Amino acid sequence: MTESKFQRNILIVDDEWNSTIVRSVRNRLDEEGWRTRVIVPFDFVVTGDDFEAEALYAIEEEAPDGVVLDVRFGESKDDRFKGLAILQKIVHRHPQLPVLMFTQYVQGPDRETAVRGTLKWDAQVDFIDKLASPEEVVMRLRRMIGITPDNIRLGSKITMDTANQVVYAHTESGTAPVTEIQGIRFEILQELATTWYRSPGELVPFSRLMRYMEGEDPRASIRVRIREIKVAIGKAMGIRFGAGDLIINIRDRGYRLVPPD
Amino acid sequence: MVGGVLARVAGLVIAVAAIGCLALAPLIGEALFANVWGVEPLTYIGAALLVVGLAALALSYAVPQALHRRNGNGKAQRDMDDWSRVTQQYFELFDHDLGRPLRRILGKERELRAFLRAAEHGNSQEVAELLDEIEMQAPNFRLMMSNIRVLIQLEAPDASYAPQPVEVSAVVQRIVDRYMPIASEANKGITWWAEPPEFGIVYSDSAAIEHIVTNLVDNAIRFADSQVEVRLSRDDARFFVQVWDDGPGVAARYRRHIFDRGWTPAVARREEKTSSGLGLYIAHTLSVHYGGDLTIEKTTTSDSDDQTSFVLSLPLKEGVGADAANL
Repeated sequence: MTESKFQRNILIVDDEWNSTIVRSVRNRLDEEGWRTRVIVPFDFVVTGDDFEAEALYAIEEEAPDGVVLDVRFGESKDDRFKGLAILQKIVHRHPQLPVLMFTQYVQGPDRETAVRGTLKWDAQVDFIDKLASPEEVVMRLRRMIGITPDNIRLGSKITMDTANQVVYAHTESGTAPVTEIQGIRFEILQELATTWYRSPGELVPFSRLMRYMEGEDPRASIRVRIREIKVAIGKAMGIRFGAGDLIINIRDRGYRLVPPD
Repeated sequence: MVGGVLARVAGLVIAVAAIGCLALAPLIGEALFANVWGVEPLTYIGAALLVVGLAALALSYAVPQALHRRNGNGKAQRDMDDWSRVTQQYFELFDHDLGRPLRRILGKERELRAFLRAAEHGNSQEVAELLDEIEMQAPNFRLMMSNIRVLIQLEAPDASYAPQPVEVSAVVQRIVDRYMPIASEANKGITWWAEPPEFGIVYSDSAAIEHIVTNLVDNAIRFADSQVEVRLSRDDARFFVQVWDDGPGVAARYRRHIFDRGWTPAVARREEKTSSGLGLYIAHTLSVHYGGDLTIEKTTTSDSDDQTSFVLSLPLKEGVGADAANL
């Protein structure tokens, strides 16, 4: 879970707005600390046009940070790919607004039509399968929106307050700041945490840690700092992190954060 | 058809006239043309008419046959195109219709999980494992449907493509995102990186790269002991995606068959197959289709250790060599 001084707003436009799959995504976004708004039709009988009008109005009025948009808005011929028509209008009016197409049509001719017909390859639009896990949806939105929150929750036991440069350890006896992690140690952990937040499996190469290196053996200096971070957090949590825990070295090419559950 | 008959009759008439000329030439030729030309020409006229007549006759048979063959091939081609299009349309329908019940199942499972958590029954290990089991089937299903889609596309007679700019590191990132929960659930780790870290764009097919690498990562997670690594690199003309896992790897005696259609080590051992054996076949076929290759490499020096990795290589840019490195 993450918290931010500025709460992110996500608009969800899907004719199956009350389905369990959309609800589970919405719940996960809420857990993430983001505010979700779902376009809910007023009448029993609604068409894709109703969703389009409502969605474009909501974007104008509420200026969301991102939109989750379905492709198919019913079985009628006009509505089968209504989402692509709505997408065109959003891209035309708000080219910088990230739009995540939440759809069965992640691949295949319809996606190709959408991409080739209406989008530049670097448009702020991405496609994700409706069968994707809510975590995948959150991950994709994190990258598209591109802002790291002030507080990053690393698993359930560590929090980084990047605004105040404090790391907290959560244990059964309560929450305590890890006072040893300051200065360069905090910056190294922040570099690893920021990468993990946007891309949990990504390695941070030594080239990106270069500015924290010191002395005649720069990599050794980083190794020492990493060990200090692991010892400090481990001490606060009452555990000892091994080589394969918390921060792991991958083939001596860089490090990856693996927050404990 | 009518043109062919007319040509045949005309050819026949001309040929008969030619034979007549040739037969009469010794008798009346000189008498008829002596005052006109110095040489008796009826023989030459007869010979020329015979050539024209026989040619007309031959063409009257050959041209309709050639036209028929061409039309026949065209029809076969059209039939094939139609078949391919219809198959794809059917698949789109099935894909959507099959996805719907699965979405409902997953939605209910996720809701149940949230309900248990809220009701403080979430600590039940058995229930959590059952729910995880349901959740973990989704990527399998997605990959299976994707495999079928690609197979249909590859069978299509007009399976060509236009290279698009692709941010290949983003493609790898998406795949790792998808498999991260599955790896964690199995107490395995998955790491990816790009060399150079700012990898830039390549000109290729995003869906194909995603499909190939997804198959490789899916396999690697299944067979890894604890770690899977995905490394993206490039040289002057090509880019590479290497997928490595620390599992036992593919035994040397199996490597030559690993990309065969429907082949799995279970086939060689005469055991029951636990997978279709299509994933690596499709991945390899796609790689070659896009001007690249998919190979298997031994990654350890020990003779007794069969640790292996798969390496996908594709052109940085269609038809371009060294220039592509400066993209």
